[in-house]
Amino acid sequence: MIGIVVYPSWRLSVVLLFIVFMGFLTAKVPLRLTRGRTKFIIIFSVLLFLIQVLFTTNGVLLGHLIPQIGEIGPLFPVTDFGIVRGLAISSRFLLLVFSSMLFVSVTDPTLLAHSLTRLKVPYRYSFSLVIALRFLPLFDLENHTVRMAQKARGITPEVTGLSKIIRTVQYTFFPLLVSALSRVEALSMSMDGRGFGYGSDRSYLRKSSWRVIDTIALVLTISFLVVCFLFSFGYLPEIASLI
Amino acid sequence: MLEARNISFSYNGTTLVLDSLDFYVHRGEIVVITGPTGSGKSTLAKCLSGFIPKSIPGEFSGSILIDDSDVSNLDIAELAGQVALVQQDPESQICTLQVSDEVAFGPENYEIEVEEISKVVNSSLKSIDASHLYERATFELSGGEKQRLIIAAMIACRPRYLILDEPSSSLDPRGVMQLREILRGLQSQDIGIIVIEHNLLNIQPIADRVLALSGGKIINFDRTQHKEPTSLKSRVIDTTSSPLLSAKNLEFSYGNRKVINNVTLSVQNGEIIGLMGSNGSGKTTLLGLLSGLLVPDSGTINLGESSLGKMNAKEIAKRTAMVFQNPNHQIFEKTVWKEQILTINALEMMTLETLQQCETILERADIAEMRDRNPFSLSHGQKRRLNVSSIMIHKPKLLLFDEPFIGQDVEGREFIKQTMFETVEDGGAAIIVTHDPHFVAGQCDRVIFMERGSILLDGSPSSVLDRLSSTGYKEFADLGVQF
Repeated sequence: MIGIVVYPSWRLSVVLLFIVFMGFLTAKVPLRLTRGRTKFIIIFSVLLFLIQVLFTTNGVLLGHLIPQIGEIGPLFPVTDFGIVRGLAISSRFLLLVFSSMLFVSVTDPTLLAHSLTRLKVPYRYSFSLVIALRFLPLFDLENHTVRMAQKARGITPEVTGLSKIIRTVQYTFFPLLVSALSRVEALSMSMDGRGFGYGSDRSYLRKSSWRVIDTIALVLTISFLVVCFLFSFGYLPEIASLI
Repeated sequence: MLEARNISFSYNGTTLVLDSLDFYVHRGEIVVITGPTGSGKSTLAKCLSGFIPKSIPGEFSGSILIDDSDVSNLDIAELAGQVALVQQDPESQICTLQVSDEVAFGPENYEIEVEEISKVVNSSLKSIDASHLYERATFELSGGEKQRLIIAAMIACRPRYLILDEPSSSLDPRGVMQLREILRGLQSQDIGIIVIEHNLLNIQPIADRVLALSGGKIINFDRTQHKEPTSLKSRVIDTTSSPLLSAKNLEFSYGNRKVINNVTLSVQNGEIIGLMGSNGSGKTTLLGLLSGLLVPDSGTINLGESSLGKMNAKEIAKRTAMVFQNPNHQIFEKTVWKEQILTINALEMMTLETLQQCETILERADIAEMRDRNPFSLSHGQKRRLNVSSIMIHKPKLLLFDEPFIGQDVEGREFIKQTMFETVEDGGAAIIVTHDPHFVAGQCDRVIFMERGSILLDGSPSSVLDRLSSTGYKEFADLGVQF
């Protein structure tokens, strides 16, 4: 993923995107997306593409989006460089979204926390990751309830004028914040009450184990990253011209 | 023996929440402590488990002893190995994503050997009758299962005393019966159990002693102090006129999970309907649909003459009033007064007359002197009364209350009931989600019992409760709050 930031090429992104989808298949993780989210992802990537196409003016001219009509135009030149940039950015966006989804759905946070602890990250920090993931779905649910409660009181989100925007944000943010804070208090008492922080280390019932395949994956990722750096610094021009 | 000797506590240094209180519990004993909201029950629980004075600031005096030795020199983690506290909201206390991780969390912190932890996790899950949940994700569990999980997570630390703060408030009657069994089992393992309860009937049958907290002191519980609730004046419901609300063939799903399955009902003017059923049977979702906050997948809802689907949010808000389960989710303003006038403001009904009514209803809800306070700083019961008072001024016709009586003492219940009665006497109607058969029998005209998204029974309270007792739902007809 860092590779694609280092060396932005849409061909490379598409290849990686394909690998990520293969990952979904081999991990047997169904791509479960609500209709709203799919819509958001598609619209956003198309938008990213269009903006790049519209506002990149250098490169070989391919035509205009709005041809010359009388005095007006021609407007919005479309260039090959613009299309390449557009593809690069929107494919990069898709890659980010889907690879994060793959990461979250195949990673057991408890095991990840244990691995981090083995890398000498203090368990207080690695555990906060577990807690964050534990409470995310809950906050999503609460957000939904608060919006329903607003609607029930006849409060509709208003975006006309700054003060109304602030009020709309306040009406959602306050209840969520208060509920989160009261949860923090209960949670910290509950964790302290079970001896969290008792010793400088803790034991783990479920442990992550390092396997040969992990070493292979690590070597592959690092060498891929090195290759990307080489590309972007202009070494290996023969291979770079292929992708 | 766990003992509190002459303990006093004050959060702000002036008002004493606990006043030279003495208390003890033996191992293998179940003690129930009851008392009105704000009487300091949860504060006592935090003192006994060491959070006061160790992590909660305030003025504390007196001593806590275990087997006659003072525990003030132990830190919280050490004391936690002896006294465990299960707090009110199980959801907030779960810190991991898998059931076995959650139970193992305590022993892991004490750096116990892995084989030993594995044994403890299995035995703890067994004692809450949940071995089958071992690999389940914690966020998928039902409210009752979360409650049991947190009990298992606490006893995995092998405490000798277990304190439970309002353990039955989020449970349906079946969950309460299961909780009783679990507590009995723990008692036989020689654990001393303290249960803090509002709903006395829930735990009292298995208690060795029942105590009350009043004026910062422990007294023996005397049930004659409690007055009888006002009962409903007999009203004649006009069934010939067109219904206030009618819903036909409602269906609703969250993703692939069907929550409401072919529900048809109509509500007449002047009716108070008790909506009963186990947790997860679809009661809250049904209220959401009837208030227009959720849109059914199929089916129609008519409010009066007009279809709910064609009305906008403000029109619906003018005619219906909904109270949600968690009071924090429905408070938006910075002061009690602003919160009180928020609805009439949003509905553009602000007049001298309505403002005067706001004053009056705050008085009646007994929160008028807190009008400049931040509503989030009120107690649970006060917040709940504010939730109700702030949605009554525009005189909604249809009240939809989701378990409004949880955490309310006698006065709070009276206030909520009175506002309900006024609405129905005025030609409105109310649908109240509740597990309380006494409320249903005494105050409702009709009871609807839901099971798995469908209406199982619908009729007069006596006939529905009779049917429940004779079919497989006896607990629902027997248990409940009694004051």
